[in-house]
Amino acid sequence: MDSLTSVILAPVITAVLLLLIPGNFRVVLRLAAILGSAWTAWTAVALFSRFHAGQEGLQFESLVPWVTVGSMNLAYHVGADGLNIGLILVTGLVGFAAVLVSWNIERHVKLFYVLLMLMIAGAMGAFASLDLFFFYFFNELALVPTFIMIGVWGRGEDRNWAAFKITLYLTLGALTALVGLIAFYVAAGANSLDVTVLKAHLATHPLPASTQTWIFPLIVFGFATLVGLFPFHSWAPVGYAAAPTATAMMHAGILKKAGLYAILRVAIPLMPDGAHRWLPVVAVLAVGNLLHCAWVALRQKDLNLLIGNSSLAHMGFAFLGIASLTVIGVTGTVLVMVAHALLAGLSFALSGYLETQTGTLDMTRMGGLLRRMPFYGTAMIMGFMASCGLPGFANFAGEATVLFGSWKSLPWLVIIAAWSGLVIGAVAMLRALRAVLQGPEKPEFSRVSDTDYWRRLPFVMLLSAMVLFGVSPGILTSRIEPAAKAVVAAHRTPSQAGESKAQPAAIPAAATATPGHSGH
Amino acid sequence: MEHAAVAQHAVESGSKIQDLAWAILILPLVMAFGTAVLIPKNRSLSAVFNISGVVVAFLLSFTLFCVFGGQSADATPFHWLPVSGLDAQIGLHIDALATLMLMVVTGVGSLVMIYSTGYMHDDRSYTRFFSTLSLFVFSMLGIVLANNLLMLFVFWELVGVSSYLLIGFWYEKPSAGDASKKAFLTNRIGDFGFMLGILAIWSVAGTLDIAALKAQFIANPALLGPWAGLAGLLIFMGAMGKSAQFPLHVWLPDAMEGPTPVSALIHAATMVAAGVYMLCRVFFLYTATPGWPAALCFLDGISAATIITCIGGFTALFAAVIAVQQDDIKRILAYSTLSQLGLMVMAVGLGAKTGDASASMYHLVTHAGFKAMLFLGAGSVIHACHHEQDIWKMGGLRTKMPKTFWTFALGTAALAGLPPLSGFYSKDEILAVALEANPIFFGVGVLVTVLTTFYMSRLVLVAFFGKPRGEGADHAHESPASMTTPLLVLAVPSAFIAWLPLGEFLSNHFTPGHAAHGGDILFGPFNHNPIAAFFGLGAALFGFSLAYSLYGKSPAQDPLSPKLGLLSQAMRNRFYIDEIYDGIVVPLHNLLSQVADAIDRWLISGLAVRGLAGVVEIAGRALRLVQTGSIQTYAFLFTAGVLLIVLLALK
Repeated sequence: MDSLTSVILAPVITAVLLLLIPGNFRVVLRLAAILGSAWTAWTAVALFSRFHAGQEGLQFESLVPWVTVGSMNLAYHVGADGLNIGLILVTGLVGFAAVLVSWNIERHVKLFYVLLMLMIAGAMGAFASLDLFFFYFFNELALVPTFIMIGVWGRGEDRNWAAFKITLYLTLGALTALVGLIAFYVAAGANSLDVTVLKAHLATHPLPASTQTWIFPLIVFGFATLVGLFPFHSWAPVGYAAAPTATAMMHAGILKKAGLYAILRVAIPLMPDGAHRWLPVVAVLAVGNLLHCAWVALRQKDLNLLIGNSSLAHMGFAFLGIASLTVIGVTGTVLVMVAHALLAGLSFALSGYLETQTGTLDMTRMGGLLRRMPFYGTAMIMGFMASCGLPGFANFAGEATVLFGSWKSLPWLVIIAAWSGLVIGAVAMLRALRAVLQGPEKPEFSRVSDTDYWRRLPFVMLLSAMVLFGVSPGILTSRIEPAAKAVVAAHRTPSQAGESKAQPAAIPAAATATPGHSGH
Repeated sequence: MEHAAVAQHAVESGSKIQDLAWAILILPLVMAFGTAVLIPKNRSLSAVFNISGVVVAFLLSFTLFCVFGGQSADATPFHWLPVSGLDAQIGLHIDALATLMLMVVTGVGSLVMIYSTGYMHDDRSYTRFFSTLSLFVFSMLGIVLANNLLMLFVFWELVGVSSYLLIGFWYEKPSAGDASKKAFLTNRIGDFGFMLGILAIWSVAGTLDIAALKAQFIANPALLGPWAGLAGLLIFMGAMGKSAQFPLHVWLPDAMEGPTPVSALIHAATMVAAGVYMLCRVFFLYTATPGWPAALCFLDGISAATIITCIGGFTALFAAVIAVQQDDIKRILAYSTLSQLGLMVMAVGLGAKTGDASASMYHLVTHAGFKAMLFLGAGSVIHACHHEQDIWKMGGLRTKMPKTFWTFALGTAALAGLPPLSGFYSKDEILAVALEANPIFFGVGVLVTVLTTFYMSRLVLVAFFGKPRGEGADHAHESPASMTTPLLVLAVPSAFIAWLPLGEFLSNHFTPGHAAHGGDILFGPFNHNPIAAFFGLGAALFGFSLAYSLYGKSPAQDPLSPKLGLLSQAMRNRFYIDEIYDGIVVPLHNLLSQVADAIDRWLISGLAVRGLAGVVEIAGRALRLVQTGSIQTYAFLFTAGVLLIVLLALK
């Protein structure tokens, strides 16, 4: 079995084994899920470390022809490059952490872990797939458990409303993207949904700019809804506030990135003229994330709503990097995606643990918790500082790279992003720390207790990864950069040639061979 | 170029002794991390561990200073964030400024840590205190050694967070929590400008490396063209945050909520000096050809340096005036620090004309010594008076705490600028520069000196002379040796550092080959620039006699307050700057966030989703399904539908 398939199959096999264990053997189920997700995480780490940094093109590639529907050839095609190898790694890590923090789930234990494993498998499959049919299938496989988990294990009075809202938004987003993908398939006429095939085909038969102009927004805004681009974002905070901890960690951390990943993998490199036309709009909408969502975060009294909104604000950086269409900016976006996956996983794990201790997430009722929870408090300070862009954590490396990459083409947005990240984000995070940890101890919380040893594992693991990639982001950038160059180069060459469509022969060599030095 | 040649030379001769800088930088980090992870409960070991780390770093810094003198060298860099077009390194650069600053940071740092073994003795978070102090020293050393702007920014932020952790050290006190938050956020506003400045410079010059930038600026002083002024000011915003210049000064007085050793190390000697140090590092920005973009053409003829001079001068005067009517011993010192930092910043701006900012750096070094001593002395007083900080409840401490008194008096004299103490010489250089550049700022300098001597003499006369006015002062006794020894050690540089040719050493860094004075150091000022020297001395004596006439007879209350009337009220309330911010800036941001929240709640969630649900058929169907409680059904229908669509479309 090849390596990428094994990272998809590990959680699937675990899910099948879980189905064989009787539902009332709770401890066995929990341990089996922990072992299975640890296996997945380990496979992902091994894959990441075996990935050859600085190399162009796909690695760990595997192609199995599957069926031919009508004229379309469907193939199971997986492969890794700089765009997805980091995401596969963090899916393993956050998935493992999500299973670890779910020890306290009491109802329908078996179903819960099976769904969680399917989410991990779906995310892995979506990131690894190069065939858009499989990408879409795996993405849905990961999304559907979200809705169920919110409905069954969710929290709060509003969970049905939240589940409805998140379902509605994500379904409409996914359907829009699907319509776009189908239209794209028809327009491209390559008889394949395989990205590599499409890319080779489009290099010689580029889509007319007018076609790109209407297909591109369908795909990009469809997927951007899954990420929470303003104004298609309001499902996210309420959805996460209502979701069980593990689901929020997986969705905010991992599944959201699938939308960004699809934009980077499909829309930008394959429809350069569409990108040229529509990315300015995306950039302007990103301001909504950077300012609007950051301001909304300031108002929140519920810790989960605060984290949800600030996580949307961080997505503004990711969109900004994409809109810049520079190697530095796109590299920064992928860095932000990886870093934010760890951060979102950590943040929701933190709030989940806090709720088990205090019974509430209303920050106005808390205070002085650092005294009784020194380890937890330290982890929270570190996580929240990472969120407001403290160097030493991966998030700063990503956001700074985005700022550098976007400065020349989008200076005003960079100013807004810097204000959002350095100032508004800091106000929100420091207010939360002040409300939860600092101040006099409150008598009603005299029984809270700090995390005991094994419960520290998810926090330590996610924080270590954030610090590792923050202290040495080169580990990631050396892997990402060749892929980022390919994304940007594919954009620049055909669009330049697109103006003189008479010479399509010049395009393939430039599009595939030498991405070259594509800074300004 | 010259610096590259030196580094090249060092490589060729096989000596990579400059890599010692890595050890200096990393050692405190190892100590901080090791303490927090391995020995979080072992009090004495953690103290020994952290103190020895910083002391060894000091010895290594001294070695580097001796080996390199004023020469520059680069340690082997670490490629932190390599992307083509943006090679952000963590690289260490050593030169006259850096080696001197290394010794200041590690020297004051080790003394403050030793002092803390006494001051923090009964604190239950003793080990956390030491490990956070080590974390701070690490961050500060990173700023000192940074060879490029992004690394400078990285450690700049780390200093900000260590300061946040230390101001909020007693986090259970609401005031400490608020102060730590305020300090971090005010600094962040400065950092916002700093980051944009870095981006602007990088996009024009194509490099972040300070030495490379300097070389480019020497080759082409008009490198930044119309952006020169703006980039300079944006970078200066960072310094305004860290060095607490008006209008971002509001955090520093509140930062006194932190333990006093923290105030001595961070908020007097090192962190707040980082802004000035940074300005000296990128000084070539301010000596470059000024220029403004078309939208700011009204600024033509004014350089960024001029604006910096004005802000520095204003801060110096403004803070000195406020200090006159403060009653809290630490707050008086805090405003004094603000005022002295203002002088240093002013000196940087004035120095841009001659290309020599050595006066500012010189004052930074001497000030670090005596101001740390004053703060530690204040800590000793507070410790002895059972955490009483109001000087009007002290009195008569002179005989009860002789060591503290004598060192405090020495520090006061140095700050006031009496020869032959260090402060006189460094301040004299600033006055001399101001006199040559602009008589208005000379006047500001002299006026600040009068006020400084006045409020410091007031502090000493009220707190140490006369009779005890409070219970704490009544039972006061001298602090333990762990606290008085650092005071005595710090007295040495405060008294004698001017006997070394430091001014010349620094001057050589900025303008090589133009060694200004030479000759007799101690009487140098009177020969070299007698007007500045005599005005400085006269101002100090005048300020003292004014203070003596008011407070010499040890009054029970401040006789000055009724005389000043409303002005005194304004001074006590810090000219209401905090209130203005609380009344305008904070509500404005709150209003914006309220509007955003309302939009989210009512427009996007309410109208869009509900409206959509009513109009779009699929949404209506989904709604009905959800209302029957079968979200699972819906999820499965959804998947099936998707597959169906795919199959139909592909026919």
